[in-house]
Amino acid sequence: MLVRAIATIFAWIAWALLVTNSARAAESPQLPPAAAVKVDFARDVEPIFASRCYECHGEKKSKSGFRLDDKARAFQGGDSGQPFLVPGKSSRSQLILRVAGMVKADEVMPARGERLTTQQISLLEAWIDQGASWPETVKKPHWAYVKPVRPALPKVQHSRWPRNPIDSFILARLEQEKLMPSAEADRVTMIRRLSLDLTGLPPTIAEVDAFAADRSKDAYEKLADRLLASPHFGERWARVWLDLARYADSHGYEKDPPRSMWPYRDWVINAFNRNMPFDQFTDEQIAGDMLANASLDQKIASGFNRNTMINTEGGVDAEQSRVETIVDRVNTTATVWLGSTLGCAQCHTHKYDPFTLQEYYQFFAFFNNADEPKLELPSTAQVARKEQLSGDVARLETEFKKVTPEWTAAQAAWETKATNDLARAAAATATNQAGAAPDVPTNIVKILMVAPAQRTAQQRDEISDHFRSQAPELKTVRDQLAESRKAQEALQEAIPTTLVMQERGEPRESHVLIRGNFLAPAEKVSPGVPAFLPPLPKGQPANRVTLARWLVSPDNPLTARVTMNRFWEQIFGRGLVETVEDFGTQGERPTHPQLLDWLATEFVRQNWDVKAMLRLIVTSATYRQTSRSTPELIERDPYNRLYARGPRFRVTAEAIRDIALEASGLLSPKIGGPSVFPYQPDGIWTQLYASDQWTTSKGEDKYRRGIYTFWRRTSTYPAFMSFDAPSRELICPRRQRSNTPLQALTTLNDPSFVEAAQALARRVMKESKGDAKADAAYAFRLCVARSPRSEETKRLVALYEQELAQFKQDPPAAQKMATGDLGKPPEGVSVERLAAWTVVANVLLNLDETITKG
Amino acid sequence: MMKNPYTLEQQRHLHAMTRRHFFGKSAWGIGGMALASLLNEQLFAAAKPDPLGFNPLTPKAPHFAPKAKRVIYMFMEGAPSQLDLFDYKPKLVELDMKPCPEEMIKGERFAFIQGVPKILGTPHKFARHGQCGMELSQLLPHLATVADDITLVRSMVTDAFNHAPAQIFLNTGSTQIGRPSMGSWLNYGLGSIAQDLPGFVVMISGGGLPSGGAACWSSGFLPTVYQGVQFRSLGDPVLFLSNPAGMSAKDRRRSLDALHDLNEMELNATGDPEIATRINSFELAFKMQTSAPELMDISKEPPAIHEMYGTEPGKVSFANNCLLARRLIERGTRFVQLYDRTWDHHGVSADNDIVSPGGLPKKCQEADRAMTALIKDLKQRGLLEETLVIWGGEFGRTPLNEARGGSKFLGRDHHPRAFSLWMAGGGLKPGFTLGATDDFGWNVVEDRVHVHDLQATILHCLGLDHTRLTYKFQGRNFRLTDVAGEVVKKILA
Repeated sequence: MLVRAIATIFAWIAWALLVTNSARAAESPQLPPAAAVKVDFARDVEPIFASRCYECHGEKKSKSGFRLDDKARAFQGGDSGQPFLVPGKSSRSQLILRVAGMVKADEVMPARGERLTTQQISLLEAWIDQGASWPETVKKPHWAYVKPVRPALPKVQHSRWPRNPIDSFILARLEQEKLMPSAEADRVTMIRRLSLDLTGLPPTIAEVDAFAADRSKDAYEKLADRLLASPHFGERWARVWLDLARYADSHGYEKDPPRSMWPYRDWVINAFNRNMPFDQFTDEQIAGDMLANASLDQKIASGFNRNTMINTEGGVDAEQSRVETIVDRVNTTATVWLGSTLGCAQCHTHKYDPFTLQEYYQFFAFFNNADEPKLELPSTAQVARKEQLSGDVARLETEFKKVTPEWTAAQAAWETKATNDLARAAAATATNQAGAAPDVPTNIVKILMVAPAQRTAQQRDEISDHFRSQAPELKTVRDQLAESRKAQEALQEAIPTTLVMQERGEPRESHVLIRGNFLAPAEKVSPGVPAFLPPLPKGQPANRVTLARWLVSPDNPLTARVTMNRFWEQIFGRGLVETVEDFGTQGERPTHPQLLDWLATEFVRQNWDVKAMLRLIVTSATYRQTSRSTPELIERDPYNRLYARGPRFRVTAEAIRDIALEASGLLSPKIGGPSVFPYQPDGIWTQLYASDQWTTSKGEDKYRRGIYTFWRRTSTYPAFMSFDAPSRELICPRRQRSNTPLQALTTLNDPSFVEAAQALARRVMKESKGDAKADAAYAFRLCVARSPRSEETKRLVALYEQELAQFKQDPPAAQKMATGDLGKPPEGVSVERLAAWTVVANVLLNLDETITKG
Repeated sequence: MMKNPYTLEQQRHLHAMTRRHFFGKSAWGIGGMALASLLNEQLFAAAKPDPLGFNPLTPKAPHFAPKAKRVIYMFMEGAPSQLDLFDYKPKLVELDMKPCPEEMIKGERFAFIQGVPKILGTPHKFARHGQCGMELSQLLPHLATVADDITLVRSMVTDAFNHAPAQIFLNTGSTQIGRPSMGSWLNYGLGSIAQDLPGFVVMISGGGLPSGGAACWSSGFLPTVYQGVQFRSLGDPVLFLSNPAGMSAKDRRRSLDALHDLNEMELNATGDPEIATRINSFELAFKMQTSAPELMDISKEPPAIHEMYGTEPGKVSFANNCLLARRLIERGTRFVQLYDRTWDHHGVSADNDIVSPGGLPKKCQEADRAMTALIKDLKQRGLLEETLVIWGGEFGRTPLNEARGGSKFLGRDHHPRAFSLWMAGGGLKPGFTLGATDDFGWNVVEDRVHVHDLQATILHCLGLDHTRLTYKFQGRNFRLTDVAGEVVKKILA
């Protein structure tokens, strides 16, 4: 066995050295073996040329007189005169020698960027050895730019395995690869996986038991339906969208002041919960403000485009900021719906994909015609109160300003007295002139010195206002007025607001900006879409409404594919196209192109029904496989791109928080509302330019789901940041999944997680009431749903006993470990026991399995 | 650069996976001891060769023989005035307080200056120092003593004239947020040799965060393992480093042992190599709990060192950070960046002008001794040769008095067209001054060094070709220097 293992590792090293194929590491480069597959020029070779060669040897540039996008020119070779392609003889073809690094250093290709991978070189070799066949047909357009056609289901041998069409595609490929799918996962595994995928929360013990006991045939489907209907479904899926929408609670840049935008966040949660069709979801976010009789909700949705940063730094050029904001809108829209890197065309025509500079600014023009107001969202009670208060204020003001003979007489009397007082004061201190008179401002003194008949209207108003502002007779009215105005201000403060788009009547002119510079406008452009994509619908105005319709038109080859790929990525950890943000020629190709096209066409056929599509994925046999793996399978398919097993990967930053809170019983189920401030270490916010204070929320708001944590762009919540949450300054199309010591420190020591451990220990004491073994098993189930294996129970109990012994010797330490904000231990539980269980709970919340969907 | 066909995440998987092959296929069961000993070997990086190149922080060979192995970058946030410190202009002194010639400011955009401003000659004396005769301001008497060890660049130019974009530009090569910073690129390109500390550490003095915020040390689209880790001067140097109240180091060790065992059982049951990586992460975290506080404790440094730097244990100061920078590079950290804040002397108040004792002279006093001590200390320890030291701000200051709102204090507005910075060590010509500006200090007239050139040069000193250090993101190969940058050969030894 050992010999075999060592042989395997040596084979690995040899292979990996070949694969790394580094010019600096490999002293004498050698050719990797040609790929042992039938090579297809359009499928295998042309994409390599397009992504790595055309930049210098293509339509736009032909360095060294060489072009690779033209068959004749390619066979002819370049200025060097060396044979570039020798059909049947890869080892004599310059193409191979150059990409394999078997030439002088300055001849190695590509001259820039990474070298070709061994797989790519092997493919090129095989292509030449197989005769370098280069079909004369017109160049095929890039796969993603061709409208998907619903493929027929492939034939499979194990025809009993597929539960739905997804499985046919997956199984066909597995059979082609001579692999078998894995067994179905057990029920406990499935309910935890499904709960995390659909609601982002782990199941309760009762839910686990109920599902395990449900003998009905469609128990699993019923479970999926229950979870899809859960109000927490919207929270879990909104999280994904908020990364794309770059939603945050602050403006960004230097001062990064807070903003009120949470009504948009709640709109997204509600849209997912109500299963708003994706085309409507698109319309309302791209052009909600412009829809006929736009509802308040639709206006709120237009905030998608207002999630851009706002620079409040001194010395900022307003037009520059405005242009940068629109650039962000263009780039974000292109990434979210089209999976395209249109942003590359901001300064120059795209080097790889067919976007021109001109087209960039045509797209820009769609977004260049909006005002950017703040929308008030008063509740019905607030509207009533507002009306009442403005009524009060109007009435009091009228009363205050009322001209009656009594008031006129009183004012005259006051004027006489004031004039006399002033005269006396002036006489008393000859040096001290008029302004010194007590309680009468200089401007009023000046008016007093003008005879009433000669005063201007303004002077009359001024003196009358002044008189009324101090007349003791008017004190009651004055006080009431002040009070009502104060109440008005307080109400105004309390009315929620959100940022929205509002189309202008008079369109702004848009221009191409040379090299993206707002100070260098060139020719005028009108709104339009890239020419290689379908045209805008005929007869419609070229505005945001039409743009939205165009994005979700069944003819659009990208939107449905890009969106379904994103859903797939959420469930399986990687997209069918791994570069979820780039479907262009530089992006990865789909592992299962037919499946992707089937999903995309099905999505349109189902009228963009998001829940239906997610249900389809999670009820597939593919999804229901166990995620357990074997060394053979890991060696064969390390990243599970073939789906011969179920998905297993760490959950997101927010879900890690949610799981800890749910397991410990602390989680507040409240949905929506202003963002909250859970515990954060001191000094994180006070370090910022504008010295704001982070004040920890009180009551249940301290324990809300991660999605509600106040998102400050320059200071991501620390526990989220270490688990790869983005800053949301810009769109985050794909979160990384790192695995670092800073994460370990967070879940071990962050007081939020320590408090969750304390609460979990208390919950177990309260609910389990068994012996140590039973308690350990109960706590374990709260975290990972399944019951522990006996060796696991043993290990937990051993730790508990060690810690119990330790804390018995050190009661003050036990006191600190077990109690904090949660207060005294529950009745009948010693502080030492509770402390020991807190340590155990801390371990449980840190288990790989707890923070992993498996 | 980076020929490995796998993404870093894939590499990590493979890394863990191949390790397991050592034990054979049935060996997940042996697990325990063998795995633990293997995983415990290293913290952030393997000092041993890692031929498969799977660990993202494994030291990697540079493109060519490097002169420097590490960088200490002292970032004077706010932008110190080159005209009062490094670039003496007699013409400005002569024309002091005369209206500025109109052709000079025609078509210029300023952050704050309005109308026709007045020329501002420096109120500070300059003199020549060292054998090289470097001309420096009287505000930096300590630095003058090491004139023969440093390299002064008087011909820097940048693209941005507001703080946040200019700082982000200097650090990431783009004025827009979202690109990786210099320190991230270096750790990506070279790996980390730090045993139990991050390869990229940031410390801040002068209160608050720099205007550019954490974007200045972001890993952008590179994996987050390359992000700068901010060491805080008070409380835990790294967030959540301390165990909870009531939990001793022994309790922690016992609980980590249990966690280790349980995770390993799960590894055996599921066969997911990611669990092995997680086990490793917990062990690294445990080691950091000891190494980070040990690093931060400067109380055991000899009195002579404290005297030299002007350090006081327990205080937050630029001086303390300079000493900590030395301690960090001694422990293998590749890139240390010290931000010292409030060098933004516009002349709007007494502590914000270039002549009042509380203004620029005070900032110079705080920095001068410590930064000079760092040079001397590195030199006496033989570390300067292999350490690239950089000192400077994000842009220059105008030769014009800003007089915002009629302020009577003297100060200068932002100026992107010309500024100075100095460097030392790591393969540079010592006692050398590069570049010149015109008589007004307005434009660079000789040996222009753009920010991208500086970045190319820094990478070059560390043995990296800035055109080959690339990362593919959203369909394009990105690099620190965008599509520009030339190595400044004239300052290389």
